[in-house]
Amino acid sequence: MPIARRAPRWRLPLAGLLCFLLSPAVDRLVVGAQQSTGATTPLWELVNDVSAPGIDRGLRDLDPPSPPGRARAARVELRPGDGASYVGGSLVVRFRPGTTTVTQRALLALVEGGSAGSPAYANFEIVTVPAATDVEAAAARLSAQPDVEYAQPRYRIEPRFVPNDPLYPQQWNFPAIDMERAWEINRGASPAITVAVLDSGVAYRGGIIRVATRAFTVNGAPFPSLGTIDVPVAAAPDLGGADRFVAPRNFIWGNDLPLDFDGHGTHVAGTIGQATDNGVGVAGMAGNVRIMPLKVISSDWDLIFGSDTVGTDDLVAQGIRYAVDNGAKVLNMSIGRGGPASPVLRDALQYATSRGAFVAVAAGNDFLNGNPTNRPADVAPEIDGVVSVGAVDRNRTRARYSNTGSYVEVAAPGGDQVRGGVPAGILQQTYDFDFVDTYLSGPANYRAPRFDVFTYQYFQGTSMAAPHVAGFAALLMQQGITSPAAVEAAMKRYATDLGAAGRDDEYGYGLINPRAALRGMGLAR
Amino acid sequence: MTNRNLRALACGAARLTVAAAFLAAATPALAQARTSPIGIRGFADAGSTRFAATRSFEAVLGTASGPVFGGGGEVLLPRGIFVSLRGARFRDTGQRVFVSGGQTYPLGIPTLVTVRPLELTAGYRLNRPGWRVIPYAGGGTGWHKYTESSDFADPSENVSLTATGYHVLGGAEFPILGWLAGAVEAQWSRVPDGLGADANGVSAAFGESDMGGTTLRVKVVLGR
Repeated sequence: MPIARRAPRWRLPLAGLLCFLLSPAVDRLVVGAQQSTGATTPLWELVNDVSAPGIDRGLRDLDPPSPPGRARAARVELRPGDGASYVGGSLVVRFRPGTTTVTQRALLALVEGGSAGSPAYANFEIVTVPAATDVEAAAARLSAQPDVEYAQPRYRIEPRFVPNDPLYPQQWNFPAIDMERAWEINRGASPAITVAVLDSGVAYRGGIIRVATRAFTVNGAPFPSLGTIDVPVAAAPDLGGADRFVAPRNFIWGNDLPLDFDGHGTHVAGTIGQATDNGVGVAGMAGNVRIMPLKVISSDWDLIFGSDTVGTDDLVAQGIRYAVDNGAKVLNMSIGRGGPASPVLRDALQYATSRGAFVAVAAGNDFLNGNPTNRPADVAPEIDGVVSVGAVDRNRTRARYSNTGSYVEVAAPGGDQVRGGVPAGILQQTYDFDFVDTYLSGPANYRAPRFDVFTYQYFQGTSMAAPHVAGFAALLMQQGITSPAAVEAAMKRYATDLGAAGRDDEYGYGLINPRAALRGMGLAR
Repeated sequence: MTNRNLRALACGAARLTVAAAFLAAATPALAQARTSPIGIRGFADAGSTRFAATRSFEAVLGTASGPVFGGGGEVLLPRGIFVSLRGARFRDTGQRVFVSGGQTYPLGIPTLVTVRPLELTAGYRLNRPGWRVIPYAGGGTGWHKYTESSDFADPSENVSLTATGYHVLGGAEFPILGWLAGAVEAQWSRVPDGLGADANGVSAAFGESDMGGTTLRVKVVLGR
């Protein structure tokens, strides 16, 4: 199942064995069809290759703006809490013109300082003080002297990449893992890295599909067939152009059009590779990678449109093998299920890593539902190069829903909207569900959907955490760590330990730390 | 130590370098016997060091060897004894890496490594009238300043440390003019615990802690 939901609304579960919800599904869409064993005969067709560009309706569920100085990742500071870092053991001092050398020495003696001279292109001096000196206090003391024009610590100025995407300030998840400094090292990987999104599809292209709809019921309420309808689809405007997508494949319908009729996969793809620093919408972890949209789970509309195929272990296994065989170096699986183990998925994941691909798998959202072992996340510890991802909230605490267990290997931001409200989720672009969930308003208001109207929405779940790790893996591969096992080793080695010391069942090895991993090792440090 | 032992040691040091013998044979001047009880000389040298932490240097710098340039001064005392103080610098640029499963993955982040030893040496020169070369040998202690800086580093993430080590050396000097001489010298140094203290260094990953190495160099000596 897609391991995420937007909290303020409820939806029907995505159909199939690989579906589970953050909230228990109460309503059930019934179409009376039997599960088939393979891809269905296409009941819909693309009747127009071209459509108007997707409509971007901006931020959905807009909440009060975050307060100034919103949560940011911890910075290295010599004095925590002062909001600025500086170089210890020295000061910048400018004496007033005419101050004699003797007077200058006497003044510097107040702080046990000595002049290190005036650097080139400077009208000030660098003054050395004992390493243990509180340089801010020393600067204040010197500044109070009449012969001193000014004195200040040598505050560090750092390069910092802050994406210009206008909704980036709402994306607490990236500063929470120090992405701004990570992007200084690696600005979003490159098109040489392909990330496969095994999900409900991706809004990756435009067109109009003509489809015959089926009648169904929700909680016994009948919804009539809409007959044959034309449904517009469009590429998510913030995901970038058509050249970003490679080798799309729809395993539900058995074609090459993995259109997203749900919105989950589009949201997940955004966290991985949303076009970043493009002045539009939001940012993604690895904004330069190529995306391989693979539809391996179905949605309500797939059922209504006539598909009897739902996501199953075997279908997902096919998707994994397809992704690797078609050049994907990273796979994201924000999907999973409870129940017995899955040899076919284990086999496929082993195949993926043996072919040099890294896989991020959501650990599951069922902690509050008995914390059942989630498949296939459970096999992650057994396969180097497959990483199971738990979720943390904006306070870097395990999200209430995030599964725990020996198979949790790392944690990443997944949000927790119970603790922090809607903005505590992960913001990405996906469909405007007013145009998708048309069956939620009852049969009287039921109408054809539109998959060409987009908004920015907060989702929560380990589905949202896993794509952070997939994007992180893409950055590492671009940086030079080409082995999936080594990518996993780097993630674990540099993870910020949370919870109990060392690896634990809540956070695994800890919260991912892309910046530290991308920097790697020096000779001595 | 008897004169015979010293002679044997000096001859052994001379044999260390074929170049020394060649240069000595080519030298037209005879070795000058010391007439002054104390001499003060300066020297400059250039050579190559192969670091003992082979895997670590190879991982980051691509090679465990590199040029070293130095210089210093020495005092020649009676009875063939000398004391020298030498400073040198090794400097090379490599890149940060990640090491996993015995494999090194270069990360493309430039890293500048500098090693600056300051070495105090005492030794003995076998300066016999009529010899065309003056073999010498010695040993001492050194203070090795190591710095490492890389792009994208916070100041606290760069490295600046000093470690103490010891060394032995041997060489052969061949007078050229009365105030000018050349020499060829080999040195082995050990700087225990100079590296490997930080878990995020490849030296720790490889279990290499010695910052020392083996150096071969040529010297130009000025003074009598």
